[in-house]
Order: sequence, then C-alpha cells, then structure tokens
Amino acid sequence: MSKLDDMRQSVIDGDMNVTRELVQKALAEKMPPEKILKDGLISAMEEVGRRFESGDFYVPEMLVSARAMKSGLVLLRPHLVAANVQAVGKVVIGTVKGDLHDIGKNLVGMMLEGAGFEVVDLGTDVSAEKYVSAVIEHRPDIIACSALITTTMPRMESVILSLTEAGLRHQVRVIIGGAPVTDEYAKRIGADGYAPDAALAAVLAKELILQKDG
Amino acid sequence: MIMMTKREIIRAVLDGQKPPYVPWSCGFTKEARAKLQLHFAPLELELVLQNHFVKLGSDIGFFTDLGNDRVRDVFGVVWDRSIDKDIGNVEGCLLSEPTLEHYTFPDPLNRRFFADIPESIDQYGDRFRVFQIGFSLYERAWTLRGMQNLLMDFRDYPKFVRELLNTIADYNIAQVKEALKYDIDAVYYGDDWGQQRGLQMGPKLWREFIYPVLERMVRAVREGGKYVLLHSCGDVDELFNDLIDMGVNCFNPFQPEVMDVPALLQKYRGRLIFHGGLSTQISLPYGTIEQVRAETRRLLQMGREGGYIFAPAHDVEGDVPLENILAFIELIQSQPGFCNN
Repeated sequence: MSKLDDMRQSVIDGDMNVTRELVQKALAEKMPPEKILKDGLISAMEEVGRRFESGDFYVPEMLVSARAMKSGLVLLRPHLVAANVQAVGKVVIGTVKGDLHDIGKNLVGMMLEGAGFEVVDLGTDVSAEKYVSAVIEHRPDIIACSALITTTMPRMESVILSLTEAGLRHQVRVIIGGAPVTDEYAKRIGADGYAPDAALAAVLAKELILQKDG
Repeated sequence: MIMMTKREIIRAVLDGQKPPYVPWSCGFTKEARAKLQLHFAPLELELVLQNHFVKLGSDIGFFTDLGNDRVRDVFGVVWDRSIDKDIGNVEGCLLSEPTLEHYTFPDPLNRRFFADIPESIDQYGDRFRVFQIGFSLYERAWTLRGMQNLLMDFRDYPKFVRELLNTIADYNIAQVKEALKYDIDAVYYGDDWGQQRGLQMGPKLWREFIYPVLERMVRAVREGGKYVLLHSCGDVDELFNDLIDMGVNCFNPFQPEVMDVPALLQKYRGRLIFHGGLSTQISLPYGTIEQVRAETRRLLQMGREGGYIFAPAHDVEGDVPLENILAFIELIQSQPGFCNN
C-alpha cells in the first residue's frame, strides 16, 4: 500500500500516532499538502462517514477516527496555509440558546472538519444574536444549529428570523439537526437543510457548497 | 367482583396476565408538574394522577447546592442547572484520567437513599413499589469521565472501562440488597444507550462491556424475587432479546419516534412488558388535543390484552400545552374498570 493508503487506513482505524507519523513523513517527502489532506485525511473521513451510515461504525469509532484526522491536520495546517490551500467552506456551528448538550454538535463539527471545512465552534447555549455576530465576523458559508430537546428546538427558528432581520439571511445557508428535529421541521422554519446524523451533516454541507458554487 | 389494587394490577401485567384496564405511571418535569399542580389546586397532584407506581429511593441521587445554579451530586460531579432545572448538565470532568486510583466511591448505604421508603409505602401502600436507581451504569460512568472520553475509552482503555462499570455495578448492587430488606416490588434501572438512530456505542461494544455488568445488576434483583424495570432512551430495540435473556421484565420509555410501538408490543408480548409509548417529541408538544387523544386511545387499545403500562415516553416537558396533558389523563382515567381509589 502507498503511504497515503496507510495514512487513510490509520485514520479509519483511529490510530492517531500512525496518522501523525505518516503525515510527517509525507511532508518530509514534499508531498503536496493538498494531496495529503484530500487523499489521506478527507478520503478517510468519508469512509468513516460511510461506515457510520451502514452501521459498521458507531460514535466511539467516529470519535477516535476524528481524533486521528485532527492529529494529522494540526501538522498539516501550516503547510496548507503556506500553499494557500483553501478550505472547502466555512461553517459556524453551535447548540442553540437554552441547550447545553454538545456531543451531537461536536460530532458534526468533527465530520465537517474531516470533510475539509473550516469550523468555527460557538459552543452551547448560543443566542440568535451571537449567531448573527458570528456571521458578520467570520462570514461563513453555512450556519449549523443543534438542539437536543423539544423545548429548545424553536430557538432554531429564532436564529433564522434574526439573520433575516439583520439582512444576512441571503449570505449564509442554515442547516439544523438534533434528536427531535425533522426534515419537515427544517422546511417549516425555512432552514436550508436537515441531517439526521453527523456523517450526513457533512454530506449535506458539501452539497450546499456545490449548489452555491454551481 | 374483587377489586384489584394498583399494585396487583401492575404485578398481573408483569406476569403476563390481562389486566382489568391499562395501568399507567406518568412522569412530569418540574415545569410541567407546576403547571398541572396549578390547574388541579388545591388537590394534591399525586392523588389526582393516580399513578400505579410509587417511586422509592432517590433516583438520580442527592445534591449539594453550590449556588449560581450549580449542584454537586454524591459522586462529586458538578451539574449546571441554569437551564435544565430537573437534572442539569455535567460541568467539568471528575475522572480526567482513565483511572480510579485517586477516586473513592460514595457510601451506597447512606441512609438518605432509603429514608423515604417506609413513609412512601405507608402513604401509597396500594401502589406498585419501585426502588429507583438512575444513571445506573453507562450514564454514571460518563458523568464521571465525560461522554466523549468514555466512548473513546471503550477503544483506548478497555480494562479501565470494565473496572469503572463493575465498580458502579457493585455500588448499585449494594443499594439493591439494602432496598430488598423493604417490602418493595421492583428495581428500576435508568441508563440511556440510544441515539435517535441506533446505539451510541453500537451493539458490539454494548454486548462486550455493558451486558455482563448489567446482567449482574439484574440478577441481584431477580434473585431477590423482585421485578426489574429498565429505562433507556433512544433507538435500542435491537437489544430487547439481550434484555429478556438477562431477566429484565419491563422496558421504558418505548419512544414511538424511534421504534415501531405496535409491532414491538405484538412481537414481545409475554416476554417483555413495555412502559411508555406516548410521543413526547411530536404529539404532546406539537399535536392537537384530538391527536393526543387518538394516540392515547390507540395505545390503550393495544394494551388491553396486557403487556403494557401507559406513560408518555419521557417526563412531560414544560413546553407541552396543559390541554394536551389533560387530554391523556382524562382518557386513561376514564377506562372501564378503573375505579378512582
């Protein structure tokens, strides 16, 4: 197997020490950083997403793979910046106001990073105003809102309304997710998309970027 | 006609017999409870609800108020209750490293865990007596270690995970043995393993790590001659045969959004009893009164032959309209055969 194949496999296996070692070696051999990112790390996380969807992987496997991917990405990032390699897109992510649950949001953030996105994590209990400020500050392509319970789910609509009031709605796509959230609810509140889990959230975000670019 | 007590009716259901009507035990969050209490004042809510369980013990334990909406549980975990007033969200990580070397478990036999039992049995002697142990295994482990840490520990530090889970089980079993000295009927273990789709840790890791430890906890109750009721939120029906094999009698919450309630009730009738079933993610907060009534009627119809104890599939949250709560209460209490006693 090639070094990239090994690197890809190490991410899938969640073996971050091997991932780190192989990224270092690839950089030392002057392999283009974009190639390492796309064919090594992103390609691995796509496979992790597929295995999650097919029921071969669950949250523990996804977490250790994401950790391995991140460990490689940390080494790679300065080289990506130096080579002026742009992220696929930028996503501002958070759990909505009144909700302190974070694991679902964190998993989505990891899978987005693994898909090549730059992710700005606003944390939990994020007010609509904070999302608006983050759109002004970071100019993301996408906002991702998470909610675990029915009592906080309506805050997603508040985020969309606040973006509209601030005249920013046209600048940014809004995607939503969380246990009680449905596709129907997303349509009802005017969100641009819904994903039932972290792997599909990354797929959805990529589709939205393609639509935008197209 | 001999009038059965609520206790006898629940026992009959758990023993696979047809009850005179579908019994129930419904839970409410503080906010929903306050709304209901205001509606029914001056009547005492617990008497109005006519739940068939009397809940004993401390469920999620005792807490020390730290001020600023923070409380500390008996395990030393700090909970932020600024938003979720009923349980809260864990703040920080008590076991920052995968070891129990520097950690001492609390005393499982602290009298506070059992202090309410005689009085509650005295007050609600006709009800089915359930000693509750919440956060009973996996959940207790992640409250101590952090959820993401624990999920990765399954892969990174399996020996530590086994030690942690077994120590938690020993703690629970000590409490069960003490609770069995009272005239209780069942122990209720609460432990969330599910997501909206599938298990958090997957069936392989669940069977490898959770099953053997949970089996010990279940056996401690069954060997004492009592029933085991078990709660896990989420899509976990792939585990029902495992739960039956280890001796679990009843499963809650039976969420209709993540499992096929009618099909599972039919499939497992006589082997596993279900408690829950009424949608708390869709019907109760967002449905009309008529939709809540229709769903409640369907559930009562399904449970008429037995195998079922009615409840909303989670403690009813504060966002549920009062009229929707009253709609299901009215229907369950107007069943033929139920005599408000």
